[in-house]
Amino acid sequence: MLEASQPREAVAITVRALRHHYRTPAGPLVVLDGLDLDVPAGGYVAVSGQSGAGKSTLLSILGGLERPKAGDVIVGGVNVAGLKGDELAAYRRSTVGFVFQHFGLLDTLSARENVELACALARVPRQRRRARAGDLLAAVGLQERTAHRPTQLSGGERQRVAIARAMANRPSVLLADEPTGNLDEDSTERVAALLESIHRDHACTLVVVTHNRRLAARASVRLALRDGKLVAA
Amino acid sequence: MTWRDALLLAARGVSRRFGRAVLTVLAVGLAAALLTALLTIATTAETRVLNELSKGGPLAGIRVSAAAPDPSQVDQDDARPGPPRDLDAGAARRIAALPDVVSVVPVIAVHGFVIPPDPDVDPFLDTVVGVDLERTAQLPITVLEGRLPAPGALTEMAVTQGYLERLDLDPQEPEAVVGTEVEVASARFYPSLGDDEIRGRWTKALIVGVVAQEAAPGQFLASIEYARLAQDWRAAGGSGGFIEVTTSAYSGLFVVARGLDRVGPVRHQITAIGYSTSAPENLIATVQRYLRVVEIVLSAIGAIALVIASLGIASALLAAIRERRREIGVLKAIGARDRDVLRVFLVEASVIGFLGGVVGTAIGWIIARIVTSVVNGYLTAQGLIGVRLGLSVPIVTGGIVGSTLLALLAGVLPALRAARLPATEAVAGS
Ligand SMILES: Nc1ncnc2c1ncn2[C@@H]1O[C@H](COP(=O)(O)OP(=O)(O)OP(=O)(O)O)[C@@H](O)[C@H]1O
Ligand SMILES: [Mg+2]
Repeated sequence: MLEASQPREAVAITVRALRHHYRTPAGPLVVLDGLDLDVPAGGYVAVSGQSGAGKSTLLSILGGLERPKAGDVIVGGVNVAGLKGDELAAYRRSTVGFVFQHFGLLDTLSARENVELACALARVPRQRRRARAGDLLAAVGLQERTAHRPTQLSGGERQRVAIARAMANRPSVLLADEPTGNLDEDSTERVAALLESIHRDHACTLVVVTHNRRLAARASVRLALRDGKLVAA
Repeated sequence: MTWRDALLLAARGVSRRFGRAVLTVLAVGLAAALLTALLTIATTAETRVLNELSKGGPLAGIRVSAAAPDPSQVDQDDARPGPPRDLDAGAARRIAALPDVVSVVPVIAVHGFVIPPDPDVDPFLDTVVGVDLERTAQLPITVLEGRLPAPGALTEMAVTQGYLERLDLDPQEPEAVVGTEVEVASARFYPSLGDDEIRGRWTKALIVGVVAQEAAPGQFLASIEYARLAQDWRAAGGSGGFIEVTTSAYSGLFVVARGLDRVGPVRHQITAIGYSTSAPENLIATVQRYLRVVEIVLSAIGAIALVIASLGIASALLAAIRERRREIGVLKAIGARDRDVLRVFLVEASVIGFLGGVVGTAIGWIIARIVTSVVNGYLTAQGLIGVRLGLSVPIVTGGIVGSTLLALLAGVLPALRAARLPATEAVAGS
């Protein structure tokens, strides 16, 4: 599966003494408080935790969406905390793939165009883009739905499009924030299987935030975020 | 992301969210329409009015009469001539040699005794204006119907609308006289014949066209060859009875200056040579000033409409960006650089402006047509020639390019704001 998108090479994630807080009217709200994390290259980690524990914050920092207030985030030997501007955009574009609970598809684009958009950002030539989008959508079982727009797809289908898009530039790391949070049981099962196959076939390093036990059960390591730190679940 | 990709993305955004873009497009469109309509009408009106003033001939035209200048009249448009003074080829050459003179066309006007084909209309006296018909482009002559007499023709004439009125015909239906014949006589004094001392040299002329002309007062336009024959025949008898023979070779000249602003200086030089001149220079200059003011006012109204439209675009785009924060966050989360996002929104604004420009210019053109047809109805009722509306390429391209640029400009601030949104918008609130 997903032959078209052979990842470059799985990379390890090392997080040390990660601190993050948000400014609120009531003063700084500490969310991550000296968090450490080690994921080996090709590892599969599931993170759970109460609502508001800081799971999305952690994933945003790993994905280069949010800059941590302190600490090191080393992904494939690069300290993400030190990246900015175009370097950071390049990191988001090619090192990581991000999957959102709300799918994050552009409603004005078809499934294929959504996947192609990720390739376009990486300046993949037009011909190759089309071929790659077609292969990726076939790999997630949506070859019949490439011309559909997100509003014409079910939640499970949307999330599969989103996963195809996340894989578009052959990331070394796939980050998923409650990917099944909005899905029914069948779709959850299908997405879980898809993530597992990506992990298995591509030795892609996977970090998944989830409350779903079945999804978490497929991970090789299960952690929980509590009081700003990660502990074994 | 390339500009082309940005364009595709923006085009999708606009076409698939068209319901939302349509109001913005319409706002730009209506503003562009207003500007197009106003400018089209203003420029058409200007050409129309100036054409009417110069009878389709050159604007910088000067009439020189076979008379000495009256010093008290020198700077007036319709100068009263002084005492007669012979005007011949030598004088024409001297005037043609003046700086800023583009052309000099001689005019011979001769009195004619006219018998129209309609027996109910009494014969009457009028003037036949003879000019070199090869050079009508340098004369204030417009063909309204039919054609001009052939150069050198001795039996072809064109008439003015005054002739139609004389025959009690509708001046708006000039085709009625084209193809009819008229008898014109040049009178000559024969002192030897005693009481019955006047004889005519009769010509049966075919009326080939109807014209508006200001080369010299007169309802008939003929070749200068005809006028010269008539004049020579008349002059041979000398003055006597009601006939007064002039010795001047030409009754006048029509001089064209290099530009409207050269008309004054050229008139002064012709005065210095010793001939009386007249030209509608003051009138045309005044009318042009008024038209300029009208144009400025109309453009200002259009420009205000465009500014309002651009504020509309800016606010619509800002609202759209507020709504699409998550989408922008997602774009950034999957690796869009700030300038990619900037590009997408600038292109989107331009696409809206371009569509508005196309729609607006089309609507503006239609409005201008409607206004013109109303105006034409009025002009026809007033016995004037209608206006022909020309689709002006600069106005159309200006309307479309202008709206696009305006929208682009209006999109700068919203696009910058979009480009600066953080990637965390992608996960905010989830
Ligand atoms: N931009 C922000 N500004 C201020 N506070 C924030 C911001 N983003 C998150 N927070 C707060 O930080 C805490 C952690 O948020 P986060 O989204 O990481 O939690 P989470 O573990 O993902 O929760 P959930 O399971 O509900 O998604 C929450 O209390 C939240 O209110
Ligand atoms: Mg969350």
